[in-house]
Amino acid sequence: MAITLAVEALDVVFEYDGRRALDSLSLAVPQGSIFGLLGPNGSGKSTLISLLAAMQAPQAGSLTVLGEKPGPRLRSRLGILFQETCLDPLMTVEETLRLHGKLFGFSGQTLKSSSDRVLALLELDQRAGDAAATLSGGMKRRLELARALLTGPELLLLDEPSVGLDLEVRSRLWGHLRDTNEEETTLIVATNDVLEAERYCHSVAFLSRGRTLAMGTPDELKRGLKRDSVRLEWPDLTESTLCDIASWPGVGRATWIAPILHVTVDDASSFVPRLFQAVGEGIRAIHIRESTLEDAYFQLVGLPIAERQEQMV
Amino acid sequence: MTAATATLLAWQALLERDLRALLRSRSQLYSSILLPLIILAVLGSGVSEGLEPSLVRDRDYSSFLVPGIIAMTALFSATFSGASYYQDRDRGILKAMLAAPHPAGVILLGKSLAGVAVGCLQALLVLAIVALIPAIDLEWQYGVVPGLLLAFFAILLLNLLLGGLAHLLSARITTLTGFHLVMNLVLFPLFFFSGAFFPLDEVPVWLEVLGRVNPLSYAVDLMHVAIYSDTSSGYLGAPVDMPVLLAVAAAVLYLGVRRHSTG
Repeated sequence: MAITLAVEALDVVFEYDGRRALDSLSLAVPQGSIFGLLGPNGSGKSTLISLLAAMQAPQAGSLTVLGEKPGPRLRSRLGILFQETCLDPLMTVEETLRLHGKLFGFSGQTLKSSSDRVLALLELDQRAGDAAATLSGGMKRRLELARALLTGPELLLLDEPSVGLDLEVRSRLWGHLRDTNEEETTLIVATNDVLEAERYCHSVAFLSRGRTLAMGTPDELKRGLKRDSVRLEWPDLTESTLCDIASWPGVGRATWIAPILHVTVDDASSFVPRLFQAVGEGIRAIHIRESTLEDAYFQLVGLPIAERQEQMV
Repeated sequence: MTAATATLLAWQALLERDLRALLRSRSQLYSSILLPLIILAVLGSGVSEGLEPSLVRDRDYSSFLVPGIIAMTALFSATFSGASYYQDRDRGILKAMLAAPHPAGVILLGKSLAGVAVGCLQALLVLAIVALIPAIDLEWQYGVVPGLLLAFFAILLLNLLLGGLAHLLSARITTLTGFHLVMNLVLFPLFFFSGAFFPLDEVPVWLEVLGRVNPLSYAVDLMHVAIYSDTSSGYLGAPVDMPVLLAVAAAVLYLGVRRHSTG
């Protein structure tokens, strides 16, 4: 059965004053999925969100959102959570929703019932009469999500939805987002939190310098990686030792940001004893875990490595 | 829902927001209304006392100042309206509004019109307060109701003109500080040469020319005609004021919204 796409981008180009933010970017987002856009700052995530929201138009390439070319009319089918807080501090929670609803053509009883529904859903009904300025950071984010959900969007665009939130608030926010997705709303989440993307997204695209480097489910993207990830605190590591380790059988990628050496290996239980046998002292701490999407991200995107002038073999 | 109904609903929501903000931000309300009234009391009384009454148009200077004071209220409102654009932009609120399913011009025009409506209410409030002051004699040469309608029309066009100008400037100037500086630089000369402080028919030619090319003069002129007795000499009159004001206000508002939409 053919998959219906919520978003289809083909060779999309967008420039700000000659600086290319999206460079022939292509993407396919299945309808009803939670889709993560992962990439470092400046990789084009927010620009792509603004194009999907029809706030700006691509300068080249083709973009289809919910079967339409992006334009003002499309926005009635979208909900948007911007990266930064966009609330009027003088308006109450209820007034914020009422203004948004009216801008989207809702009024009367329809607006009232939609507003009550999202306030209850996001557990803000007890604060409906309070000014936005008096809400905590987590509540402000929930109010913005309530606003985005008010009009029953088919596609929810979320730009760094959990940035700056503590773990508990973040977890509750994601709970709400998953509930929303279960009601068949497609979610596109721009984030640079790889663990969050691995935990919550059905599919992920790695963006770098305005291009899609890889796209697939977290399992697909991890396929081909070494099974284990070994992190060593090793301040005195020399370049020759690093090259030696990298050449061992079963060793994948070895990266060093002093004093940390990060190695992906087929089997940590055989690698670690061999390492201690070969190099003896100098290693201060060791941490072993299974490879994650983060390892796939670093392997494919590579930008943070370059940015930190990491020594890489 | 038709596009027109959706647009009107959006504009209503933007107006409600501005009115609520005005009522909650009392300092803006008080400063917009009190400052013109203080100037009326101090300048009007001071100059009236110091001049030979027969030399003063409308018999006393306080009465003569009323249209200028209303123009000043509109000027303050326009400045607040322009400044609110920066606040909304910097707080991300404008972006959230522009995410609504309307062309950007519809939202920006609605925001501008909301500012105009708030400005009109403030100016009418000042006019109502002034009308209650016993020392000021508003004679309403066409009768109270037609005079009020004419005054309202003048206030509306004046606010459209100044609101449009504020939006035009805010679309071109990136910082709020720069906006305030340029507003003061543009609006105060316009205000001084508008006939608000002195009649334009008894001044040197260069000043009269400046007054005649100044669109604010036509609003002040129209208000003089609306609220005083037969003072046709020295005034341009409604048949000149209204088309000039309407044309300039529409042009400036259009340019302001267009510049914002494409900027």
